[in-house]
Amino acid sequence: MSGTSKLLVAVALAFTAACGDDGSSTQKDAAPPHDAAIDAPVTGPDANCITNPDPTQYLQIINACTTATKIYKDSHPPLTLPDGGLPALP
Amino acid sequence: MMVTHMRSLSLVTMMLAALGGVASAAPPPPVCDTLPNPIYLEVGDTQTQLMKALGRKLRDNTPKPITLVFTTNPSCTNLDHFYNHNSRTTVNMQYVPSTTEDPNWIQTSPTLLCTPPNPDGVGTPGIFADIANSAVFTSACPLTAPNNVQLTTGPTQAYVMAVPKGSTQTAMTFEEAYFVFGFGMAGMISPWQDETQLFIRAATTSTALAWAAQIGVPAASWKGQRQTGSTGSALVVQQLEATTGPAIETAVGILGSEVADAERAKLSILAWRAKGQWAAYYPDSTSTSRDKKNVRDGHYTVWSPTIWIDHIDAATGTPTKPDARYIIQMIAGEDVTPAPNFDPNEVVARVGLTPLCAMHVKREFEGGPLTGFTPNTSCTCKFESVTDATSCDLCTTTCAGGKVCRAGYCEER
Repeated sequence: MSGTSKLLVAVALAFTAACGDDGSSTQKDAAPPHDAAIDAPVTGPDANCITNPDPTQYLQIINACTTATKIYKDSHPPLTLPDGGLPALP
Repeated sequence: MMVTHMRSLSLVTMMLAALGGVASAAPPPPVCDTLPNPIYLEVGDTQTQLMKALGRKLRDNTPKPITLVFTTNPSCTNLDHFYNHNSRTTVNMQYVPSTTEDPNWIQTSPTLLCTPPNPDGVGTPGIFADIANSAVFTSACPLTAPNNVQLTTGPTQAYVMAVPKGSTQTAMTFEEAYFVFGFGMAGMISPWQDETQLFIRAATTSTALAWAAQIGVPAASWKGQRQTGSTGSALVVQQLEATTGPAIETAVGILGSEVADAERAKLSILAWRAKGQWAAYYPDSTSTSRDKKNVRDGHYTVWSPTIWIDHIDAATGTPTKPDARYIIQMIAGEDVTPAPNFDPNEVVARVGLTPLCAMHVKREFEGGPLTGFTPNTSCTCKFESVTDATSCDLCTTTCAGGKVCRAGYCEER
C-alpha cells in the first residue's frame, strides 16, 4: 500500500470512528484541534464540528457547526490523571 | 438670647440629621400596601433587572396597573419561605415609580423603598410573598413543594464566569473550573490560583447551584470568597471592578448573565467549554453581541430556567391571587387578560433573559444534558430583533414557506 493509500485509509477510518457511536449521518473532524488561534474569526461553519446534529444527542448539540465565535484553548491541568480523568475532590 | 437659642436648635437639628435621626428631611418610606395594587415577590438577585424593567411597565400598564414589590434572596431561601410559609419579609422592600411619579426614572436608577405592612395589626410588620422565584430547577434545592403551589417555567437565565475588563483571559474549560473551584490554589490552574480572587456566591443561590452542576463540585465545597447577603451579585461585581494590579489577571467571579450584561463596560465574560465540548463559546454569538445565540442553540451550556411560583387552591387549582398569576403568565410569555400595553417578551429579552419561545434546546434538571426543543409558538425572530439583529423576513400578514407572520417577522411556527 502506498503512502497516499495509507493516508486515505487512515482518514476513512478516522471518519468511521467519528461517526460510528450513534450511527448517525453527521460528520465531524478526526479530533478536536488543540492549538487553534484564540477567538477564531467568524467566517462560517468550519470542519471541526457536527453537521446536522441529532437533537437527542447532547454531544452533537454542543459541538454542532455554528457561525458563532469559538475559542480553542490548549489546556492541560497538571493534576489530570494519566487516563485523562479528574481526581476526586480533596 | 433668641439668636443663641436658634443656633442651638440648628446645631441639635444638624447633629440629629447626621445621626440619621428624626430631623432628617427625607420622608419615611411609604407602607407597601398603600402603593397601587401591590404584588409581593421574593426573587433571586439575578432577577433584579427584570423586576425593575417589568415593574416600571406594570406601574404604567393602563389596562391593569400593578406595583411589583420585591426583595431578593437566594433561590432556595425563596422556596423555603414560600413552600413552608415560615418567614415573613420584615425588611424594607423595593419598587419602582410610575412614569407619572418620576418621568426621569430609568432602569439604572435606584429602586424606591417601602416598609412591609402589618396585615394582622399585631407584632412586627411583615408580609408573605405572593410570588416566589427560583432561578434554578427547584429540584436543585432540598425541598418538597406542597400541593397548594403552582410552578411555572419562565425565561432562561444564563450564568457566566466574569473577569475584570483588563484581564487577558478569554475562556475557561470544564476541567480548569473543576480544579480552580474544587482545589483552589492546589489545583494549579494559571492564572486563577489566588483563592482571595475567586468571587463566588452562597451555596443556596442559583448562580452557585447552576455552576456547581456544570463542573461537578458541590456548591458548598467551592474554594473562594463567598459574597453573601441579598446583594451577593452586586458584591461580586464590586469585587471584580475594584481589582488592581496583578489581581486583574487572577480575579474571576460567577454571575448571572443578566447581571454581567449590565456591567459589560467594566467586566468581560469568559467563553465556556463544557465537558465533552471541543471549543469554548460565549453565551452570545460573539463577545460583544447580546443575542444569546449559544444559549438558545445549546453551544453555551450554563443556564437554568427561571421558575415562578404562586399559591393555588389545592382542591380546584385556582390561583389564590389572580394578579400574581397575571404577572407570572406575562413573565412566562403567555397571553394574559387584559392584554398589557407593552410586550412582556421584549422586556424579558432586553434584560438579558431568553423567553422560552426563543429557545431551541431544553434540559430536565440542573446541569442535565441538552436536547432539541421546538416551542409551540416561536419568537426567535422577534427576540433577535430586540437583542441584536435578525435575518428573518419582515411581514405584515403572511409569510412564504409555511412560516407564520407574528409581531412583524416571519417566524418558523
